Amino acid sequence: MAKADDLIHQPLRLKIMAALYAERDRDPPEFSRLKAITQATDGNLGSHLTALEKAGYVEILKDHVGKRPRTRAAVSAAGAKAFREHVAYLRELVEGID
Amino acid sequence: MTELSDETTLHHRELWGSMEDVMVLSKTEAAAALADIQETTRRGATLRGYRIGGPILMLWSVIWMLGYLGMGLLPPHQWGWAWLVLDTVGAIGSIVLARPAEKAVQASGAKAGGATLKMIGGMAVAIVFVMSTFYVLKPADPAAYLAFPGLMVGTIYAAVGVFVARRYLAIGAVMFALTMIGFYAFPEVLAFWMASASVGLFVSGVWLARA
Repeated sequence: MAKADDLIHQPLRLKIMAALYAERDRDPPEFSRLKAITQATDGNLGSHLTALEKAGYVEILKDHVGKRPRTRAAVSAAGAKAFREHVAYLRELVEGID
Repeated sequence: MTELSDETTLHHRELWGSMEDVMVLSKTEAAAALADIQETTRRGATLRGYRIGGPILMLWSVIWMLGYLGMGLLPPHQWGWAWLVLDTVGAIGSIVLARPAEKAVQASGAKAGGATLKMIGGMAVAIVFVMSTFYVLKPADPAAYLAFPGLMVGTIYAAVGVFVARRYLAIGAVMFALTMIGFYAFPEVLAFWMASASVGLFVSGVWLARA
């Protein structure tokens, strides 16, 4: 049976991981876009991103576009694997597989 | 799903006295989490679609403006050719603008779904529908020739808004309303009214692109 990941399962972290996993083969989304997708507040999103970054699930990318600072987030390979396993766990639970 | 704290969503239990914590979820909690994932993914895809659709809408606002200016300035027998040229330019431009997004989908290994072909097909259906309607109904009022494409575009966007992505509903409603206002309030200068209504499409494109 697949494993649950209690770090990912927190509702906002789950949304962040779902959003970043869906964008894993595209340009990493900017903070403002991630905020729109997850419908989180600045503070909440920042703190949960930090938690996911510390766990090695997310990479925070900071650069400048012209003079404007830009913060983007991308799911790491470890994060993608953990997310897949957590989703598999959820599916198994819903489908009643032991 | 309500934002719940770790303490309320996660239950812990001890296994065989080993003091190892294992997260245990109910079937309902798991289903709710999967629904959250699906909704987040859908929202992300919608926003991505807006960002792809925005520049395409801006391009069509220019096509629209040139087409209606042409209808205002050229004799009626040249309208069809003018639109044919402009629609061709618009279709090619749309394909070019949508290409990077389609390539990204292909690179991810996901099924691209032939977005370019669908776009060309959709445009062809719309053009054939407009031409056939004119051919069958043969409107006597030239204003009908001017207003009908605007009403149809408004309806298509509104339908996309109802079934796929909400912002298109607002865009469709605005285009529909602007066409009706022009038809009843400014019939003598309807072509130029419709050309200026392209500003509404352009602003809508900017709104989508910034999503």
